Amino acid sequence: MDIGYYPGCTLHASSSLYDVQSRRIFNEVGINLKEIEDWNCCGATSAGKVDDFLAVAMPARNIGIAEADGFSEIVIPCSACYSRTLVVQKRLEDDPLLKNQINTELAKKIQGTIKVSSILEVLLTTVASGELAEKVSQKLKGLKPACYYGCMQTRFPYKVPVPDDVENPQGMETVLKVLGAQSLDWNYKTDCCGASAAVNDEEAALNLMTRIMKDAVARGANCFVVTCPMCQLNMDSYQDKICQKHEIKERLPVYFITEMVGLAMGVSVEELQIDRHFVDGSELLKELNII
Amino acid sequence: MTESAREFDPETAHPMVKEVMERSQQNLLACYQCRRCAAGCPVGEETGYITPDRLIRMIILGDRENALNNQLVWRCVSCYTCGTRCPNDIQTARITDTIKKIAKEAHLDPLKPKVAHFHDTFVNSGIRWGRLNEMEFMSFFELKNTLKDLKRMKFKAIYDELMSKTKLGLRMARRKRMHMGFQSAKGRGEIKRLYKKTKKKTV
Ligand code: SF4
Ligand code: SF4
Repeated sequence: MDIGYYPGCTLHASSSLYDVQSRRIFNEVGINLKEIEDWNCCGATSAGKVDDFLAVAMPARNIGIAEADGFSEIVIPCSACYSRTLVVQKRLEDDPLLKNQINTELAKKIQGTIKVSSILEVLLTTVASGELAEKVSQKLKGLKPACYYGCMQTRFPYKVPVPDDVENPQGMETVLKVLGAQSLDWNYKTDCCGASAAVNDEEAALNLMTRIMKDAVARGANCFVVTCPMCQLNMDSYQDKICQKHEIKERLPVYFITEMVGLAMGVSVEELQIDRHFVDGSELLKELNII
Repeated sequence: MTESAREFDPETAHPMVKEVMERSQQNLLACYQCRRCAAGCPVGEETGYITPDRLIRMIILGDRENALNNQLVWRCVSCYTCGTRCPNDIQTARITDTIKKIAKEAHLDPLKPKVAHFHDTFVNSGIRWGRLNEMEFMSFFELKNTLKDLKRMKFKAIYDELMSKTKLGLRMARRKRMHMGFQSAKGRGEIKRLYKKTKKKTV
């Protein structure tokens, strides 16, 4: 089955490992991620702070392209891109005037009927159909993941249908259960890591990350599992810094959900590019005899 | 010393709240100060006194000066926690976004210049090529910050900033997380045209 795929800028740059993993694991369950043609940057959270119209126009063009390419569903692994695109689709539906205005300049006009899915939504369909379970060859026993959703997976600045529980989402836990890992209950699963504040307001961002790290450690987690490349990069690359400052001796690898699925399918660490993490991701897997 | 209550002048208060409500599309007048937003705001430690409910109050009272320049406007991380929990569906992140734009139009110096630069540079880079090139973006962003510090002769700040970013850069490069390639979208002209055409009339 072909499904439209929007990687977004980071999956073509600093988080290209997430792109590789996503394509690989979906392929395994018979889903072919087809990258939409000539997509553009979604504007992330920055566009809305600079110009309202732009914040709508940028993701709108991508929706038009995906629809013109003939897809009925598009999957967007990056949480920020997913959130922006989903919100814009709803805004255009609610405001036909705005939609017409944008359509005048677009080579590929927006209809607005395509389904915009997060990576979890697509993974969960493979859980429901039993296809994922069939592909699991290596149970992830001994992993004690703190599933970390961050902001963009369940909270939106506009009324859109949210596919999971807003305050206590269970999507990743459900997937991990099929893979043989029992996730932990913890308090900070939907808290903010600071996102771009890590670069422009480091003090605020480091405080946020510290709280997340402390709670995960206190609960006895041995890793984080995430869907958002921004959360991954922040919690991974700043972990040493915050742990040194707050005398936390533990270090928790920050895995993408696609890495968990890939490992359970027997895909190697190298092929999944887990060796591109800041906090070593292989040691724990060896300790637990997963690899 | 007791502080006198703020005087309320409907003449000045009205235009302010009206403008913010129109542009943010949030019904500020529905706020009944329950402070559920304040309880969940993760940057409360940084913003101190200014919580979403207080910001809304300032706007309703027409306290333009403080509403346009406070810690919450510049340190809100757009986590949408306040808006998700607000019993009246008020998304303060959309209010802080709106205020940033109003402050820029009024040529006010942002309280956190780095935050303002970040978003401006990000969007410029994104529309220049249609896709964001992380290296180009970070270079422009650092350049802007450094120039600002240079003007104020803050050499120590420049040194610290460059050192910390160089260290991060090296660590990124070692893990092949630094992307040296270039990406663009051929149809980026469509977005640029839209932006130009509507820039004058959009809010
Ligand atoms: S939660 Fe909503 S109604 Fe309550 S104080 Fe905050 S903005 Fe006002
Ligand atoms: S969106 Fe901004 S104001 Fe609202 S809770 Fe998050 S940081 Fe605080």
